[in-house]
Amino acid sequence: MTDSPDIIVRGLSKSFGRKRVLEDVSFTVERGRTFALLGRNGAGKTTTLRLLLGLLKPDSSGGSGCGSAEPGSVTPVPMSKHEPFPAGMRVLGLDPCKDAIEVRRRVGYLAEDQRMFSWMTVEQITRFMAPFYPTWDTNLANRYLQQFELSRSTKIKHLSKGQTVRLGLLLALAHRPQVIILDDPALGLDPIMRKQFNRDLIMHLQSEGRTVFYSSHLLYEVEPIADQVAILDRGRIVIQQDTETLRHNVKQLRMASGDYHKLTLPLNKLDVLPGPTETAVTLSDAPQAIEQLRQNGVTFRVVDLNLDEIFEAYVIGRPDGQRHADDPKLQEAAA
Amino acid sequence: MFIRIEKGSSVPISRQIASQVRAQCLAGTLPAGARVPSVRELAEMLTVNPNTILRVYEKLTSEGYLERRHGSGTFVALKPPLSQLNGQRDKFEEELGQLIRHGRMLGLEAAELRAAFEQALDNANISGSHPQESQGETST
Repeated sequence: MTDSPDIIVRGLSKSFGRKRVLEDVSFTVERGRTFALLGRNGAGKTTTLRLLLGLLKPDSSGGSGCGSAEPGSVTPVPMSKHEPFPAGMRVLGLDPCKDAIEVRRRVGYLAEDQRMFSWMTVEQITRFMAPFYPTWDTNLANRYLQQFELSRSTKIKHLSKGQTVRLGLLLALAHRPQVIILDDPALGLDPIMRKQFNRDLIMHLQSEGRTVFYSSHLLYEVEPIADQVAILDRGRIVIQQDTETLRHNVKQLRMASGDYHKLTLPLNKLDVLPGPTETAVTLSDAPQAIEQLRQNGVTFRVVDLNLDEIFEAYVIGRPDGQRHADDPKLQEAAA
Repeated sequence: MFIRIEKGSSVPISRQIASQVRAQCLAGTLPAGARVPSVRELAEMLTVNPNTILRVYEKLTSEGYLERRHGSGTFVALKPPLSQLNGQRDKFEEELGQLIRHGRMLGLEAAELRAAFEQALDNANISGSHPQESQGETST
């Protein structure tokens, strides 16, 4: 095993017709880590996942596309963590453009919409899927059937939403993939089923050292689970960071409006809410701002933010303090 | 060991877990020498990423609250980590500083703040007395 990350994405762009849905997206997922891709509906989450699986082709630009695809040729590219990777994608060292089939064999995938073959029974779909994967483990599949309390003779169309997700998880895991990609797995689950799903994720994936890449819009569900998060906003990654580091770095500072000008450092302000007496500023480099305000003897308060608030600051925050109702950004948010 | 996680809180999950374990160690709810759940067990119990639990256990071990015995698990330390009180005191002073800045923001003068502090001390009924005396009432 190399120490290269399991997933590398550099400068990825994707358009559908004239509409650019992903713009210069880059991120890295290290082995054994759980990475959550956060974004609003239509931010480009599903497109990103489908690109990683080779179900879609990225726009080609400067060699990052799939120009010289040779179907069927498996060419793992050994890469060290320290070697810069120019542009494109790697999943377990494979290029999803060129080796889509091999990537899909080695990656577990749980699609957002998994109506699958609704007329099949649990037993039938399990038998149907096995031959697609050289590494399919029938004993493991049987064990999951038991642990997930799935009845073999039940037709898929008669499963509850929670059971359907568990069946999807079984099908994604039974070939023992190192990398698992889940598209908004918690969508449509009630709170009890969401907790059960998270528990499945912890026991069957995280505790076994798998690499998990998943998308979600339920931020409070993500925080206890994800080592790392990235926020995708209108096709761009606006931040990728360890969940805890993000919480440490992004804070809201409140001070008398008259003192706001004393914050002179070139800081990365995400959102500024000016008021008649107090001004609240949310920054992604709060520790430096706190240091400067202390040195200048400014009276201020530090407000810890939860993941929802951090997300909001990144996605609809206005560093120039011009957060108005007629802001196109906000109108887009309301739409 | 009972730990309650508040989702969506502004307090990070790792800090929520660490502070509850510390409090239970200091209060004796987790007696010295008691075995605490393994990383995997606690991760499953709380539905929290095992890496997060591991970091909390490592932190609490380095602070002297927990002891990891190779092969047999993690235990509450036999000797309470008195050295850690300094760190806790620094944190307390920092919070007090924040509170005072908050008071200044509300327009309270130094004299008023002093009076408020004296009043709070009186209310807590510990001024001049040894903190040990009030422990029976305040420990939870």
